[in-house]
Amino acid sequence: MNRRELLLGASAAGAFSALGAFPTRAQVSSARARIVIAGAGAAGLSLASRLSRQMEHASITIIDAKHEHHFQPGYTLVGAGLWQPTDVTFRNADFIPPGIEWIEEGVADFDPDANRVATTSGRSVNCDFLFVATGLMLDYRGIQGMDESLIGKDGIASIYAGPEAAAASFREIETFIDRGGVGLFGRPPTEMKCAGAPLKITFITDDRARRRGRRENVELIYNAHAGAVFAVPPVNDKVKEMFAARDVAVNYNHVLTAIDPDAKKATYRTEGGDVTLDYDFIHVVPPMRAPDAVRNSPLPWQDGALAADGWIEVDKATLRHPRFANVFAVGDVAGVPRGKTAASVKWQVPVVVDNLVAETAGRDPTATYNGYTSCPMVTAYGKAMLIEFDYDGTLIPSFPFIDPLEERWISWVIEEKGLKGAYRAMLRGRA
Amino acid sequence: MADFNPVTLYFILYESMGVWLFILAGVAILLLVGVIMMTLRLGRTGRPAKRPAMAAIAAALVVTVVFFFLVPGWTLAGIGALSGVVDYAFAALLALVPGVAAGAIVFMLAARRCTAKSMRQPVSA
Repeated sequence: MNRRELLLGASAAGAFSALGAFPTRAQVSSARARIVIAGAGAAGLSLASRLSRQMEHASITIIDAKHEHHFQPGYTLVGAGLWQPTDVTFRNADFIPPGIEWIEEGVADFDPDANRVATTSGRSVNCDFLFVATGLMLDYRGIQGMDESLIGKDGIASIYAGPEAAAASFREIETFIDRGGVGLFGRPPTEMKCAGAPLKITFITDDRARRRGRRENVELIYNAHAGAVFAVPPVNDKVKEMFAARDVAVNYNHVLTAIDPDAKKATYRTEGGDVTLDYDFIHVVPPMRAPDAVRNSPLPWQDGALAADGWIEVDKATLRHPRFANVFAVGDVAGVPRGKTAASVKWQVPVVVDNLVAETAGRDPTATYNGYTSCPMVTAYGKAMLIEFDYDGTLIPSFPFIDPLEERWISWVIEEKGLKGAYRAMLRGRA
Repeated sequence: MADFNPVTLYFILYESMGVWLFILAGVAILLLVGVIMMTLRLGRTGRPAKRPAMAAIAAALVVTVVFFFLVPGWTLAGIGALSGVVDYAFAALLALVPGVAAGAIVFMLAARRCTAKSMRQPVSA
């Protein structure tokens, strides 16, 4: 424990001991295991923080070449012109707990049979337990004619590619509203992180145009990849109702396959064949897949819906690999039906850590993950719906006084003021 | 919601506010101590706390009402974003923070004036 943590802990103790309100103390294990965490994103850092506290005799190594850490749930607010890229950019070094070895390289290869991970420099790292938390790959080139470098030019936006891309997307939204025309939105057919974000940016563009008195000059079309705009039925019904009320047209079963930036034409695969739409503005959400190092390893699903894009095969309740019992996948790369949000990570990490701690301490692992996924769905500047659901698509609101299907300012407050602090606390294993 | 225990909330607040959390906590403690001391001093000088309390409540109400309209702006939203009882209640709750602080300050100032007056004009028993 460093001085800062000591001060924090002492302050917390002083503030709350009188209330008798401490949570149950986390279980610990004295096992001297070698643990490797592949990836220093939300899941990787949160794992590192919790494991270092709950397994203080373990040798923990985290592998990631990235030095910057991005608070991705904030990209929508950057894309809305409210936050700056610096508001969502942290340093990984500030969140890696002391005593953990950080190998500042990418992962090149997973060899779970030999309990080994190879880095991009060729270094080989052995482990007893492997946590794969590499995140996912944004496959912009999976759309013919599309490239990440096109974001922020000629009416092409995409808030997913990073803070600067989100800021550039806002500038494109402003230009589109100035000039008027047709704006296209949509999502890919693959599994994706934060499936609410394509809807949020549609709502934001609509609200921005209204606030500027230019709504009649823009036509907004949402191209859903399937027969619904959102996978959770009550949310789908609500969003469809809101789109209708706000004059946002919806095309179903439209998958973006190609884009011609010069001609400003987008081609969609539909049940009736390819359809090409003209646009003045398009928000591109790329197909998302597991990183190559994962896809080229024995870790992904071998068949089923999650096999094609290389998502890691895990038991959806324990996030443990069924073929390699000492391998776990957490965060975006985990091959589970939902759960590609930071809020999901917040619930996944304690499950895998507590189970490993229990197992290495000789107890039965009993923790399970229910698929918790959360999306503060921004529906206008200052309003959001706080949507939380599980694997079954059942709405599971955390706050009984907030109706998940009503637009509320309090849900916006959680998005704009609450999430970043909670996220940073999660990275430190404290939330 | 069971996950939001006080320790977790503390870390979330700390990560959100940084050192400002301690500064605000310090100010809150100072105000609380000040109100208690001035109440005791009023008691010692035999002055009733009614007038300072009324002044404090009036100040707290005014400041709370003003901040009720300002709070949405703090979240980069307009007052029109409030909809539903829960929004109004939460905005009022947030506005109460500066409201109560203002009330405490006014109470201390008014109580100080009262006690100073009784030094010059002792209340007859």
